[in-house]
Amino acid sequence: MTQNDTGGNIPALRTDRLGRRYGRVWGLRNCTLEVPAGVIAGLVGPNGAGKTTLLEMIIGLLQPTEGQLSVFGETSHAPMAARLAQVGYVAQDHPLYRDFSVGDMFHLGRAMNPSWDQKLALARTDALDIPLKRKVKSLSGGQRAQVSLTMALAKRAPLLVLDEPVSSLDPVARLEFMREVMAAAAGTGLTVIIASHVVSELERFCDWLIVLTGGHVQLAGPADNLIAAHRLLTVPRATTDAELPGLPVHRTDSDRHSSVLVRADPGRRAVQERPGWQADPVGFEQLVMAYLQRPSKSAARDDTAQAAARPGPNTKAVTR
Amino acid sequence: MIWVSWRQHRGQAIACLAVLAALAVYAILLGTSMRTAFGHDALTACLARSQGTACPAAIQAFTNRFGSEVNIAFWSVVLIVPGLIGVLVGGSLIARELEYGTWRLAWSQTVPRARWLAVKLALVTGGLIVLGAAMTGVITWYRAPMDRLTGHLQHNIYDFEGLVLTAYILSAFGFAVLAGLLLRRSIPAMVAAFIPWLAIRLVVEFVFRDHFLAPLTTTVNCTQVCGEGIGFVPQATGRIGDLVLSINGNVVTYQPADRFWTFQFIEAGIFVALTAAALGATIWLLHRRAA
Repeated sequence: MTQNDTGGNIPALRTDRLGRRYGRVWGLRNCTLEVPAGVIAGLVGPNGAGKTTLLEMIIGLLQPTEGQLSVFGETSHAPMAARLAQVGYVAQDHPLYRDFSVGDMFHLGRAMNPSWDQKLALARTDALDIPLKRKVKSLSGGQRAQVSLTMALAKRAPLLVLDEPVSSLDPVARLEFMREVMAAAAGTGLTVIIASHVVSELERFCDWLIVLTGGHVQLAGPADNLIAAHRLLTVPRATTDAELPGLPVHRTDSDRHSSVLVRADPGRRAVQERPGWQADPVGFEQLVMAYLQRPSKSAARDDTAQAAARPGPNTKAVTR
Repeated sequence: MIWVSWRQHRGQAIACLAVLAALAVYAILLGTSMRTAFGHDALTACLARSQGTACPAAIQAFTNRFGSEVNIAFWSVVLIVPGLIGVLVGGSLIARELEYGTWRLAWSQTVPRARWLAVKLALVTGGLIVLGAAMTGVITWYRAPMDRLTGHLQHNIYDFEGLVLTAYILSAFGFAVLAGLLLRRSIPAMVAAFIPWLAIRLVVEFVFRDHFLAPLTTTVNCTQVCGEGIGFVPQATGRIGDLVLSINGNVVTYQPADRFWTFQFIEAGIFVALTAAALGATIWLLHRRAA
């Protein structure tokens, strides 16, 4: 299946009350998401939030305990090969066989993927100046990451999943890696899901945002819509949550004033100026941090988040 | 997938060939001189004529010269070598992927992990069967003169002729593959597989083997020296190759020499069944863990 077949209304990823339990602990619970085809989605959450659990279920490395999941229409009950063909995956720490040469890794890719694009793989290593004969163990961290990315791209799957792809890299290698991801996505209409701690990195590259804490989805939707739907209010400290013109997400109290990040709520009055109140637009990082600091029980599965998550693939942001 | 399996196990295959080559060199050197000595002492004619009773001195000279080399050198090594080969190859098969995180790479390609495992197991098992057969062939060839005096049924001769040597390698391999999946570490998996392998191997040899089929008894008149063990030619039953279990007065309990292949099939069957159980459990666990 190529990207062209999936350009219609089939979302790249759809999950419905997806959950995975490890023994008695839930790694992820009640996760309902939709990621349209063609977006670059950032998946943010602290360690243990369920990011890797979600990604491994998307790839098929883990089977859901409950709920539904489909990747370009292939559910978790579809034949394994059909599911695997939908996703290119770069795992954390870019695992490769240490005693293989780069050429051997590509040989493996060709042997294990019917849709393997050897031309693309060779063109990329050529452009990055990585010799095919070089053994994996003698590559730098950045080069290893690039070889991993090349393998995932040459699989020619319509969805690319990256799990903490840059956390082990130095700043220059990070930038180069992300630049390569963006270049590949721009050319092919590839859908990308990136799990990362590096919020500033995501801000630059992602047009879709998913915040996960404690195994629950806190926030999901087009980054621009989410940012537009939030305001940072500075209000007198005595102001109660009920008086606020929106749902408080995160509140910091100082001596006299409180700083509250609120989400616009159709059920309440619109955010407006009041005497002594100040309303500022929020930034990407501010928004993410506010949701990350929220107790995980108050997961944002209410109307606003769902409404925000609806707009189609043409809302691709200009942040590229 | 075949290329992938070959590339990953290439080093092990070369190491196994090196072991086999070393064994072959040793066997050719010793086997040739044994053959020369056997012909020189005209033992063939003597054995055909009298089951060896007519030429005790020649037999004694031959066994004195070669017996220790044949038995001691191999007894200690061959007991554990099949187990070592099996656990070294099997222990890393899955555990290495789990240790280095490469399972995320291997199992996220389009080939499902069930097929990945099936191809790997089939090829490596095939390789080990070839290795086991080759080792058996080399050992059987070089020992042939000695076996004409002792037969094949004696302990520590039986153990590396016929089918059992290959079955020992396979069972150690199967245990180690399963242990690798359970323990997720190569070295602990090898150790954890080797210990039960050795225990089963010894229990089967020393507890069950002599009674795979009900032993026979015969009454003999011990005019010559009656005794048990390899050093006696012929055995107390008066025939070369019988395995004497006990001598009680004039009554000898023994397993006849012609049961060699039956016993080989029984014992190899036990170890092949254990291999199949371990590999079957591995396939099932890997399927269940994630699929």
